[in-house]
Amino acid sequence: MANPPVEEIRALVGHSFPGGTYTIAHWENFLLTDCTGAEPLPDDLAHPVALFHMPILGAGTSIGEMFGLGQADSGVSIGIESYEWKFFQPLREEQPYDITGKITEADRKEEGKRTFDRIRFQFDLHEADGSPVARSTVTWHYNRRSE
Amino acid sequence: MTIETGFEIPPWDMPSVSPDRMKTMAAILRDPYPVHWDPRVVEQIGLGKRTINQGPLGLSYMINMLHDWTGIGSIKRLRMTFPLPVFQDDHIIARGQVTEVRVEDGKTVADCDIWLDRDGEDKPLVGTATVSLDELSA
Repeated sequence: MANPPVEEIRALVGHSFPGGTYTIAHWENFLLTDCTGAEPLPDDLAHPVALFHMPILGAGTSIGEMFGLGQADSGVSIGIESYEWKFFQPLREEQPYDITGKITEADRKEEGKRTFDRIRFQFDLHEADGSPVARSTVTWHYNRRSE
Repeated sequence: MTIETGFEIPPWDMPSVSPDRMKTMAAILRDPYPVHWDPRVVEQIGLGKRTINQGPLGLSYMINMLHDWTGIGSIKRLRMTFPLPVFQDDHIIARGQVTEVRVEDGKTVADCDIWLDRDGEDKPLVGTATVSLDELSA
């Protein structure tokens, strides 16, 4: 499979996901927290690791769609550059959050013999009154064949 | 307790990374990447026969370390990179060290280097964190 044209990758900048609302259910937070090896958190607090999947699903997309937007050969061709999370207030279960998401950077890179497309996604969470809750920035590398 | 640059955060121990937890996590995340739940796929790409932990799960070990130290709700920022995969059955210890103590928006915060330590041999996850020290026990 040939590499996608670089113009198609660069054209992803500005792509917005539909957006929407996401509520972390109690059962979901309980299982998520258990996966981390921690005890359940008090006072309806959600484990901060929810800031990975909650924005993606709440923005109306999915990990699979994000792979597809960058024309990944397969899941195994994806590498993580970084996850950056900012918390303006703690996350809580059973609390609806308004979520938006977009692609802020997309370009082809070469490092030595390695060629990859670097795509950055940004997701923002707000309360219904507009108060900021958190921001998640996901930067992935879509590994390509050297040409 | 006075926190100063160089302070070593009390470590947090994950004695054995569980493949069952990876499966639960994959379902919660709706993560279709099979290396987290199908060891045959891991073998096909030449990384052995153990499933690969989700990146956010490795990050969560460091969150647990920070919670135990500065309290739940204390985390302001995290940035994480993933130089090496974490595999099922790995013994992982989350560690960290304070690099600066400063005031931000009227609150005392600590900037920290944080990482996962695998058997004292390598660091599969490396990052930084900023936490509020206001809830820290005296």
